[in-house]
Amino acid sequence: MQCKKLTASREQLLDPVAPAWNSIPGEPLTMAATPLANQPSEYIKASRDEKQIGKVRNLMVQAVHNEQDIFIRLSWEDASENVAITDNNQFPDGCGILMPLNASDAQHPDPPIDEMGSKDAPVNAWFWRADFKDEPRNTIAHGLGTTQFSKKSPIQSKSTWGNGAWAVVFMRPLAVPDQKDEMTQLAAGKSVKVGFAVWEGSNGERAGVKSFSKEWRELALES
Amino acid sequence: MAEPSEEQKAQRAKDLATEAKSQKAQLRQCKRQVAMVFDLNKCLGCQTCVVACKTLWTRDEGMEYMWWATVNTQPGKGTPRDWENMGGGFRDEEPQSGKLPTRRDFGEAWDFNYDEVFFGGKGNSVHLQPSGDPDWGPNWDEDQGGGQYPNSFYFYMPRICNHCTHPACLEACPRNAIYKREEDGIVLISEERCKGYRFCMEACPYKKIYFNHTRQLSQKCIFCYPRVEKGVAPACARQCPGRLRFVGFLDDENGPIYKLVKKWEVALPLHAERGTQPNVYYVPPISPPRFDADGNIDESKPRIPTEYLKYLFGDKVEGALATLKAEMAKTKAGGKSEILDTLIVYEWKSLFGPFTKDPAELEPRKV
Repeated sequence: MQCKKLTASREQLLDPVAPAWNSIPGEPLTMAATPLANQPSEYIKASRDEKQIGKVRNLMVQAVHNEQDIFIRLSWEDASENVAITDNNQFPDGCGILMPLNASDAQHPDPPIDEMGSKDAPVNAWFWRADFKDEPRNTIAHGLGTTQFSKKSPIQSKSTWGNGAWAVVFMRPLAVPDQKDEMTQLAAGKSVKVGFAVWEGSNGERAGVKSFSKEWRELALES
Repeated sequence: MAEPSEEQKAQRAKDLATEAKSQKAQLRQCKRQVAMVFDLNKCLGCQTCVVACKTLWTRDEGMEYMWWATVNTQPGKGTPRDWENMGGGFRDEEPQSGKLPTRRDFGEAWDFNYDEVFFGGKGNSVHLQPSGDPDWGPNWDEDQGGGQYPNSFYFYMPRICNHCTHPACLEACPRNAIYKREEDGIVLISEERCKGYRFCMEACPYKKIYFNHTRQLSQKCIFCYPRVEKGVAPACARQCPGRLRFVGFLDDENGPIYKLVKKWEVALPLHAERGTQPNVYYVPPISPPRFDADGNIDESKPRIPTEYLKYLFGDKVEGALATLKAEMAKTKAGGKSEILDTLIVYEWKSLFGPFTKDPAELEPRKV
């Protein structure tokens, strides 16, 4: 998965319908239901059917950077726009980008992507939800059911829903030196493992009930 | 790295389940359990408990529609509407799927035309009324009850969170945000950990969890734990003018709770078949006899159908009612009854075990 270097401004790239995105190649991903057997709740396991989980099965990923910031655009078809928790039984649409918090090597294997990392191998997620008013949360996790938002989040987003599809652009500085414990550090010329998730609000998807990209992909940032 | 085999995946799922199970067992663990007994023969349906709770705990923004303590007429749809048919709980230890009650099911907090009536000069021409056209509220079917005249019947049933020994909410939360306090078994939701996913709301068979739409997290009755810690009874119990809410530790053999529940077995849990082992117990209502077709009193048939009471309180309700009636007969014949003396509550302090302290005597918290 390529993350090309582009000379473009933040404003140009943060807009999900900006013409700049038309020429940036995308990678289509096939998504799958999160494994029901791994859910950290006997109730969820007993009350759900894995076949009904993960309504969104196709996700398009585009990524670029301008040496300062990285921009990742996620788009997917979704006939229903769920933007708010209007009642107790309503859930908003959402999407997320997952990365190992620390680079892996021979001694430090990749965190388990289907378990939101582990005690020894935490993960960092960028979490957008349709009701967050384009203020995505920065999240750390050390295993299933352990996600916590960090107090600060330098992640920005712009999102749009139209013609039965969502498009969300996440933007973040490549390096965030004052949040090394909470955010994966990125750099041009380096690669990072990435995973993706989508929550379909109309299907009651929240927490670990979602579709995900199954395995880590290598995102190579052009130098 | 090679893709794990199906066998490895199954083993991993098993290991995760074992770990989750032991975490849940830890969250459930408690040394003692507080409990309440509600004597339904004394409840007037005055809603003082409901308002005591509301004024103390649920006045903030986002809590408008919350009533952690409720009193409903039985038979009736209850609060939230039709909660008994919304699933949840356990059957043979297996969690059961449940529904999420809507705000309408609970009853929205209505806006009234106070300004118009009280300050707008229309006090003599306009009625005080809620805006919109509400079709439900937390006490909507009050006094409707069941049966046909002259055999119509009803009684009041107060409800709070049951602070279950095996809480379905605790089991359901994928974030381990719900736990029982070790010292008293009070079930609490950690507002630090809760992310408002509402699996707890689905799983609770009593539908006693609310979603705070402002703070985006789930909230419920906290058994007034800050009062309990200071030796003060929960507000709903302390304020009850009918002296029908007993509070104490379930294992206190000298306290009324232990005696009513364990020793005399006249107080029973509500819908125990839902498998959560609730810690609120009810003394079932004794009913007057029915009239037969000729208008004569038929002593053999109670006005409240026993089947209905069994539906609520299980098969043991017959034994509990028989005990109560026998005790009443005993006192009628001039005898003494410890059970009835306990239920009468001559001295209010006998309701509250170790929680008799006057809240007015406490040092106000320094903010």
